[in-house]
Order: sequence, then C-alpha cells, then structure tokens
Amino acid sequence: MRKLFAATLGVLSAVGGFVDIGDLVAASQAGARFGMAHAWVLVVGVVGICAYAEMAGRIAAVSGRAVFDLVRERLGPRVALLNLVASWLVTVITLAAELGGVALALQLATGLSHLLWVPVAAVAVWLVLWRMRFELMERVFGLAGLALLIFVVALFALPTDWAELGRGALRVDSAGAGWSVYWFVAVALFASTVSPYEVFFFSSGGVEERWSAADLAHARSNVLIGFPVGGFLALSLIAVATVAYHPSGASPDTLDAVARPVLTALGGAGLAAAVLAFFAVTFGAALETGLSAAYAASQYFGWQWGKRVSPREAARFHSVLLVGLLLGVLLLMTAVDPIRLTEYMLVLSAVVLPLTYLPILVVANDRTYLGDRVNGWWTNLLGALFLLLIVAASVAAIPLAIITRMGR
Amino acid sequence: MRIQLAKQVLDRQIVDVDGRLVGRVDDIEFAVDEEGYPYVECLLTGQAALGERIGGRVGRLLVAVADRFTDEPPVPPLRVLLTQVDRVDSVVRLRCPVSDLPPSPVESWLRRHLIDRIPGAHRASG
Repeated sequence: MRKLFAATLGVLSAVGGFVDIGDLVAASQAGARFGMAHAWVLVVGVVGICAYAEMAGRIAAVSGRAVFDLVRERLGPRVALLNLVASWLVTVITLAAELGGVALALQLATGLSHLLWVPVAAVAVWLVLWRMRFELMERVFGLAGLALLIFVVALFALPTDWAELGRGALRVDSAGAGWSVYWFVAVALFASTVSPYEVFFFSSGGVEERWSAADLAHARSNVLIGFPVGGFLALSLIAVATVAYHPSGASPDTLDAVARPVLTALGGAGLAAAVLAFFAVTFGAALETGLSAAYAASQYFGWQWGKRVSPREAARFHSVLLVGLLLGVLLLMTAVDPIRLTEYMLVLSAVVLPLTYLPILVVANDRTYLGDRVNGWWTNLLGALFLLLIVAASVAAIPLAIITRMGR
Repeated sequence: MRIQLAKQVLDRQIVDVDGRLVGRVDDIEFAVDEEGYPYVECLLTGQAALGERIGGRVGRLLVAVADRFTDEPPVPPLRVLLTQVDRVDSVVRLRCPVSDLPPSPVESWLRRHLIDRIPGAHRASG
C-alpha cells in the first residue's frame, strides 16, 4: 500500500494517458469489435512507455531537466517549435475532450445536460491547478482513478469464459472487419498509450517534487507500478467489452454504453462506482493535459514554471494554463463531440511522436546530464526498438486514417 | 574556457544562483577585441532574440506576440554578460540572483494585467 502511495505520480500519468475519455470509449469499441485481439498492443505500449518514462524520470532526477527542455536543446528552436505547436494543440484539444468527459460523467450522475456542466468542470480544474499542492493533487486523483477497478470486479461477476478470453488475447484476428481497420485501431491504441503529454507530465512532476539523484529508486517505482497499473485498467475495459459486446457486434459509442455491462453485472452500486471512476479519470486527465500544455510551452521558452513558486512569479506559465482551459471550454461550447475529437487527435499525435521520444533517448546517453547514470546497452536496445515502432506508427497513422475513413 | 557554443550553450536553460529559471540562451552576441579576435560578449534571451534567430514569418510572429503583451514595444532581448555566468553544465548557471537582471517585460505585463488580479496569486500552492 505504501508502495502504491509513493507511485501516485506514475499512476496519474498513466491513468490520464491510457484510460482518459477517448480511451474509455476507444478501448471498449476495440473490445466490442475485435475481442481481445488488441491486448498485445497495450502490452507493447506499456513496455515502451515504461522504458521512456524511466529515462525521462532519471534525467529529471539527476539533472532537474524536464522533457521539453531536452526537445528544445536537441532539436533546435525551429523543429522544437513545430513539435511544441503540434503537441500543444493535441494536448489542449485532448483537455477539451477531458472537460467534456467530466461533464458527461456528471450528466450520467445527475441527469442534467453536459453542456451545463462544462463551465463548472473547467472552473473546478482551474481551481485545483491554481491552489492545490502538487503531491496532494497527484495522490487524490491518482488513487481515485483506481475506482476503475470496478471493471475488473464486473469481469468476475459477468459470465466470463476466462480460457476463451486468454485465447483471444493470443490470436491476432481482424474479426471480419478488415485488416486496415484492425491496424488503424492498433495505431490509435498505441498512440494513446504513448501520448507525449504523459512524459511531459511525468518528468515535470518529478521536477515539481524536487527529485534528486537520491530519488532514482522512487522514480523507478513510479514508472514500474504506475504505467502497468494504467495498462491493466485499459485491458480490463477491453475485456469487459469483449465479454459484453463482442459476440453481438454492437459497438459502445457513448459513455453509458461503456458502463452498461457494469450495471448488468453489479447493479446500481456498480454503476455508481463506474460513474465515479469516469469522473475521477477524466478529471485527472484534464489536470494532466492542462498542466502538460503549459509545461511544454514554458520549457520551450525557458520561462519560470510550476506550482512551487507563487503564480505571480510564473505569470506566463499561469497565463498559458488559463488560455488552454479557455480554449478547451470554447471548443466544447461549439457542441462538437468530444469523443470523436480525441480520435482525430490520436492520429495527429501519432505523427509527431518521434519528435518527443528521440531527444529523450539521445539525452539519456549524454554524460553532461547524467554523469555515469547514462543508459545501459539493454535500455538503449529497448529504446531503439521502440523508437522504430513509434516511427512506423507515425508513418502509418495518416494513410490508415484515410483508407479506413477513421476506422469506420 | 573551451566549450562548443552551438552544442553546449545555445538553447540551454539559464538558471540563477537560487535555481530560478531566467530564460533560454536564445542567441549569442559577439564582439571584436583590439587585435581583431572575436569573443563572446553576452548571451541573449527573450522572445525577440529567439524570433530574430528563427527568422521568417514564424520568427516575426513570435516577436509580434511579445510586443503585444508589453507596454513599451519593441521588447529588447535580455543581455546576460559572460561575467555573470558561473558555469555551464546541463544548464547555464549564473552567479547572481534573477532580481539583479532587468525583469522580462512580458512576464511583468501579464503579472500586472492578469495574474495579480486573481485572488491567491501571491501564495505558492507547492
């Protein structure tokens, strides 16, 4: 338990990346259409993000530099600006989707239209970012996100054929929907497990917590507990959708369709827990994306950032934070579907992924930053293999999106 | 001191003696001594210096945004003299506090017109 408590930064980073509003629906749809055939994507994604988050955490602990610092230093001002603009847009639009998700969870809980809840959600998120201590924020929302474990409980209450579920995970099968659709869903799931804002948030969080070389073990346990926990939660969403929807072929495209199997399995109490979990994970993801966008911009320009100093001493950081939140609210008020929006964002974010991960790998081998704590050969091997995968996904993302018309 | 400017100094974070973030090394200014040898006079930081270095439409846009959020445009870049630099490792460390340098005009403008007007702006949340 104490281990879990110490790993809440990793848990919150992973929850905000793997089981945010887009993934609640995307993972459930993947389960409904293809069964467990995408489980391997999650496993590969978790291994990769662990490797890179470990490097980013080590760099943050030893040198105090967060990820976008490295991006600017290694890619120069022009290419880094391209990455900043793309990452910032992706992250802010994701933030909008998360605010929409918080509002949808509140709509499920109260019956009032989600458009009414959007401004309330935005003000609540801003208040937490403005006033709450970083460690407290990460504990409250990291641990609350674990309410999603209700999907694991539901899996036991449903008539789950575990052997079949296990076999499905080992079989790569397009389930009659066509391989291009299968691979499109795979790329989208992969991109969501390795969203750049997770490493922005994780490494900046390490700096906010003032990690030093003495905290390397702490950083590592954050990575090795947090991200696999997030992956496990996403896997349980796929499994529940497989059991509940896969035979029938119905596709859950709303939040209450995602929660319906839990209602069937566990009744009203289960539904209440699921709604609470939706609220917690989307709220946590809103905090993560809101902060990440402002962290990235501040680190690119070298401004004072973070919650350690008073807001007036980090005026540009807090202004960018406010602009991001306001843009998110405005975007939602145009009544676009926030869930569709994140699907487009995942494709765009897949394209710029290498621009974030390459600088991490390069700096993790630089002794001026890390002294003798540079990567070992096996970390480099894992990092290089994973970078190849990222490049493959980023090259394939747009053609697949066009061929399959966004996975239709 | 022998260092590779483009690789080890340009684009690095500048940090003051207390660990506050001052800016990035957005450009470097050279001067020529009496014998005709060029030497580094100061490090430049700020959106104006960055915009000029990037150049083109994007660079001009960066400068224009900085000029919009200040009372007296154009915003000059902040000059950090080499004598104020303590050492260079993964960051450029200064030997003085950030309060010894002129404040960033954009930071001051946003502080005055936006952030200071929100209750609680004076306390760090930690």
